Amino acid sequence: MLMLPELIVVATGFILLVLDLFLTEKQRDLLVPLALAGVAAAAGALVLTPDTGVLLGGRFAMDPLGWWFKLAFLVAAFLTIALTSGLLESAAPEVRKLHSPGEFLTILMFNLCGMLLLPSTRDLITLYVALELATIPLFLLAAWRRDALGGEAGLKYMVIGALASALMLYGFGVLYGLTGTMRLDAMPALLHADRTTLFAAALVVAGVGFKLTLVPFHMWAPEVYQGAPPPVTAWLSVASKAAGLSVLMLVLFRVFRPFLHDAGFAIALLATLTMTVGNLVAVVQRNILRFMAFSAISQAGYLLLGFLGGGSGGAAAMVFYLLVYVVTNLSVFALLILHNQQTGSTQITDYRGLSQLNPLLSLAMMLGLFGLAGIPPLSGFVGKFLLFSVTAQAGYHWLVGVAAVNSTVSLYYYLRIVRQMYIEAPAEGAVPLKPGALLTAALVVTTAASMLLGVVPTVYEAVRVSAAAWLQALGQ
Amino acid sequence: MGLASWLILLPFLTTLGVLFTPASRPTLIRWVSLVGTGAHLLLTAFTTWKFWEVASPDIALAKTSTLTKLYFVERIPWFKSLGVDYLVGIDGITMSMVILTSIIIFTGVLASWNVVNRTKEFFALLLLLVTGVFGVFLSFDMFLFFMFYEVAVLPMYLLIGVWGTGPKEYSAMKLTLMLMFGSAFILVGMLALYHYAGGTTFDLTQLAQFHYPVEMQRWVFPLIFIGFGVLGALYPFHTWSPDGHASAPTAVSMLHAGVLMKLGGYGALRIGVYLLPEGAQYWGLFFMALTTINILYGAFGAIKQTDLKFFTAYSSVSHCGFVLFGVASLNLMGFKGAVLQMFSHGVMTGLFFALIGMVYGRTHTRIIPDMGGLAKVMPWLAVCFYIAGMASLGLPGFAGFVAESHVFMGGFFGNAWSDPLATRVLTVIATLSIVVTAVYVLRGLAKVFQGPITDPHFLELTDATLTERLSTGILVVTLAVVGLVPGLLIDLIESALLPFVNRLHATGALAVAGHP
Repeated sequence: MLMLPELIVVATGFILLVLDLFLTEKQRDLLVPLALAGVAAAAGALVLTPDTGVLLGGRFAMDPLGWWFKLAFLVAAFLTIALTSGLLESAAPEVRKLHSPGEFLTILMFNLCGMLLLPSTRDLITLYVALELATIPLFLLAAWRRDALGGEAGLKYMVIGALASALMLYGFGVLYGLTGTMRLDAMPALLHADRTTLFAAALVVAGVGFKLTLVPFHMWAPEVYQGAPPPVTAWLSVASKAAGLSVLMLVLFRVFRPFLHDAGFAIALLATLTMTVGNLVAVVQRNILRFMAFSAISQAGYLLLGFLGGGSGGAAAMVFYLLVYVVTNLSVFALLILHNQQTGSTQITDYRGLSQLNPLLSLAMMLGLFGLAGIPPLSGFVGKFLLFSVTAQAGYHWLVGVAAVNSTVSLYYYLRIVRQMYIEAPAEGAVPLKPGALLTAALVVTTAASMLLGVVPTVYEAVRVSAAAWLQALGQ
Repeated sequence: MGLASWLILLPFLTTLGVLFTPASRPTLIRWVSLVGTGAHLLLTAFTTWKFWEVASPDIALAKTSTLTKLYFVERIPWFKSLGVDYLVGIDGITMSMVILTSIIIFTGVLASWNVVNRTKEFFALLLLLVTGVFGVFLSFDMFLFFMFYEVAVLPMYLLIGVWGTGPKEYSAMKLTLMLMFGSAFILVGMLALYHYAGGTTFDLTQLAQFHYPVEMQRWVFPLIFIGFGVLGALYPFHTWSPDGHASAPTAVSMLHAGVLMKLGGYGALRIGVYLLPEGAQYWGLFFMALTTINILYGAFGAIKQTDLKFFTAYSSVSHCGFVLFGVASLNLMGFKGAVLQMFSHGVMTGLFFALIGMVYGRTHTRIIPDMGGLAKVMPWLAVCFYIAGMASLGLPGFAGFVAESHVFMGGFFGNAWSDPLATRVLTVIATLSIVVTAVYVLRGLAKVFQGPITDPHFLELTDATLTERLSTGILVVTLAVVGLVPGLLIDLIESALLPFVNRLHATGALAVAGHP
C-alpha cells in the first residue's frame, strides 16, 4: 500500500482521459471537481501511508522526509487545480480560456505522479524515469496556448530540459562506471574522493540545477514563466522546484554524503550566485511573470543554504521552507492568475490602485509578498531564519550576511508591487476583480497557512522529527 | 496572562478592534484607537506602580549582580527544538521605555484626529507598529525580539508611502531599505551569538551567562552596534532619517522619532553591551568618536534647514547621537544618560513633531522663512513650541538637561578601556553642540513665532483645539515632571543598569588576570 497515492493519481489521470471522450463541452466542467477529488483522495491515502517501508526489491521506498515532499506535491497540485478552475470552465471568456480541460488535467496528473515517485526512487533507472515523467509533461503544459510566446516557452524549455537530462544521464553513467551498481544506497561506500567523483557530482548537480533554477542554469526560467499560461507558471514555480529539491537531496545526502561536508564552499558559492543574480535582475522587471521567475530563482538560492553542514537541521529547514514557499508563492499566484484572467495584463503597473478596488485581495497579495520577502510574523520569516541559522551553525557567517542583505534587496522589489497596489491611484475605469469561489477558497487557505506555519510550531517540529529519523536511517 | 503580555496584547487587540470597525465610521475608529491607547496608558501606570512595589527592595542586590533581574516574567516554550521561547518580562529600562511609548502613542492618536484619508487603515497600521514596539521592549528572547523589531519597522513603509507628503515613495523606500539593511547586520550577529553559545537557546538571560570568546566578541559587537545604530541614526547611516521624517504624517513622525529610533539605542545596549562586554570595551572609543560626529553633524545640519520638519529631523540625529554616545562611554553615568536621553528625546521630539503638524495644518507651509509672528494668533502652540525648544537645548528644569548632563559626565569620566584623554576631548567637542543647538533653536523659533505677522491670512488662524491642547499638554507636563523630579525615573533605571556595568568590570578583571 506504500504506492497508493501514486496509484490513485495515475488512476485519476486515466479516468479523466477516458471520461473526456464522452462528455460534451458543458459537461466537461465536471472534470475539475473530479481531479480535485482524485488529488484529495491521494492526499488522504498519503496520510494513512506509513512513512517507512520498501517495495519492488528496494527500488521504491518511503522515507520520513519523502512523505513531506509528497505532501507538498499534492498540496501544490490541489491548489493549482483550484486556481486554474476559472480558466478551464466552459463559461470562461474565449480569449484567455485554457482549451481541452480533459487533456490538461490528465497531463497534470501524470506530471504529478512523476513528482510523487521522485523521493521514493532508490536506483538510477527509476530516478531517471521518474524525473523525466516529472519534466516532459511540463513542456506540453508550458506551450498550452499555441501562441508565439507559448511556443517559444515550450520549445526553449524542451531544448534546455533535454540538455539538462543529458548532463544528468552522463553523470549517472559515470557514477555507474565508478561503482558498478545502480542502487543509490550502495554508492557512498564505493565512491572515493577523486576527480571523477567530483566530475559526476558536478554533472548531476548541473542537471538538477536546471530544474531548481540555480544560477547559472536558470536561463530558461524567465521566458518559460512568461510564455506559459499563469496557472502553469504557478505549478512550475512550486512543484517543479520541489521536485528539483527532492532530487538534489536524494543525490547529495544519499550518494555524495561523505563529501557533503567538504563541498560547503561550493554550495555557498552556488547559493550566493543564485540569490544575488535572481534578486538583482528581479529589481528591473516590468512583467510580473518574469518578475516571479527571478523571485523564484532567488528563493532557490536560499533553499540551497540548508545543505551546508549536511545535518538534519538543514534538511528540516529546507523541507519546512519548501512547504512555506509552496503555500506563500501560490497565494501570490492566486491573485496574479485572477488579475491576468480578468484584465489580460501581466504588467506590474497594471496593479495600481488595486487596494482601493479589492481591499481584501490586495491584503492577501501583500501578505504573500511579505512572506516571500521573509517578514515576520509570516512563515516566510521563520523559514528563512531557520536556513540562515543552519548557515551560521556551519560557520558561514559571511553567507548569512550575504543572504540577509539579499533579503533586503528582495524586499525592495516586493514593495514595488505593494506600492502599485497601495500608494498609486487606480486607473480610469478600472473595475474590481471578481474571484470565483474555488479561487477564493484556495486564497484563504494559502494565506492562512502562510501565516500559521510561522506561528504554530507543530509542522516545523514534525518535519524536524522526520528529518532526524531520516538522517539516522541514512547513516546506518 | 501577566502584565507584560497585556502590555503587548492590548495594542494588538485595539488594532483588531479598528480592523473590525466599518470604514464608513471614521469617528468611531478614532474613538476605538483613543480608548485602546488610553486604557494602555492606565495599564502602564498600574504596571509602573506594581513594578515599583516589587522592584524597589532589590536595588541593593543589583549593586553586585551581573545579571539583570526581570519581573513579571512569562515564559511559554514556542519552537522547542530551537530553544525559542515566548519570554517577556520587565526591568527598569523596559519600564521607562514602555511609559514613553504609551504616552507617545496616546498623544499620537490625539494628534492624528483629523486624518481623513483611509482613516481605518491608518490607525490599524499605527497601532500594529506600536504593538511591535512594545514587543521589542518587553521581549527577552532574541528571536521574539527580532520578530517584533521587524513588525515595528515595516508598517512605516505604508504609513509614509500612503499618508506622507512630498517625495513620499522615495522617502518610504529609503527608510525601509536602510532599516532592513541594518537588521541584516543584526541577524548575522544574533545567529552568531546563538550558535557560539551552543545553539540551544535564544533566551537573553541565559545567553548572558555564557562567556563568548574575545575574538568573536570583537567581530560581532560592531555588527550589532551598527545594525541597531542604523535605526538610532548613527552617522553615516542616518540619511534615511531627515527624508523619512520630513515625508511622514504627524503621528508617524512622532512615533518614529519619539519611540522607534530609541529601539536602536535600546538594542545596542541590551544585546550589544550586555552580551558582548569585551567587544564593547574594544570598540567603545571608536563608537564614541563616531557618535561625536553624529552630535555635531546633526546640530550643524539643523542650522541650515528651512523646513521645520527637516530642522527637527536633523536635531533628532544630533540628539540620538547623545543616546549612542552614552552607550559607548561604558559607565553607569553614561548608560543612565543614554536611557534618560531616550526618554526625554522621545517626549521632546514627539512634542516637536506634533506641534509642527498642528502649525502646518493651519499655515499649510513648513518653510521657516515664510512664517512670522505666529505667537500672536496661536499663543498655546507657540508656548509649547518654546518649551520643546528649551528642553531641546538643555535648559535646566526640563528632561533634556538631566539626560544631557548625565551623558556628558559619563563621557568625561570615561572608562578603563579607552584612552582617558581621548574620551575627554571627544566629550568637550560633543558639548559644543549645546551652543549650536541654542543657535538653531532660538533662531528658528524667533523667526516663526515672533516679529510682525508676515502673511495677512495668518491673522485668521486659530489656536489649538481641545484635542491638540490635551496631546501637547500631556507631553509638556511629562517633560517638566522628569526635568524637575528626575529621581523618579533615575531610580527606576539605575538598578537595571548596574548589572551592565558590573559585567563590564567582571570581564575586565578576568581579561587583566588572563593577559597581564
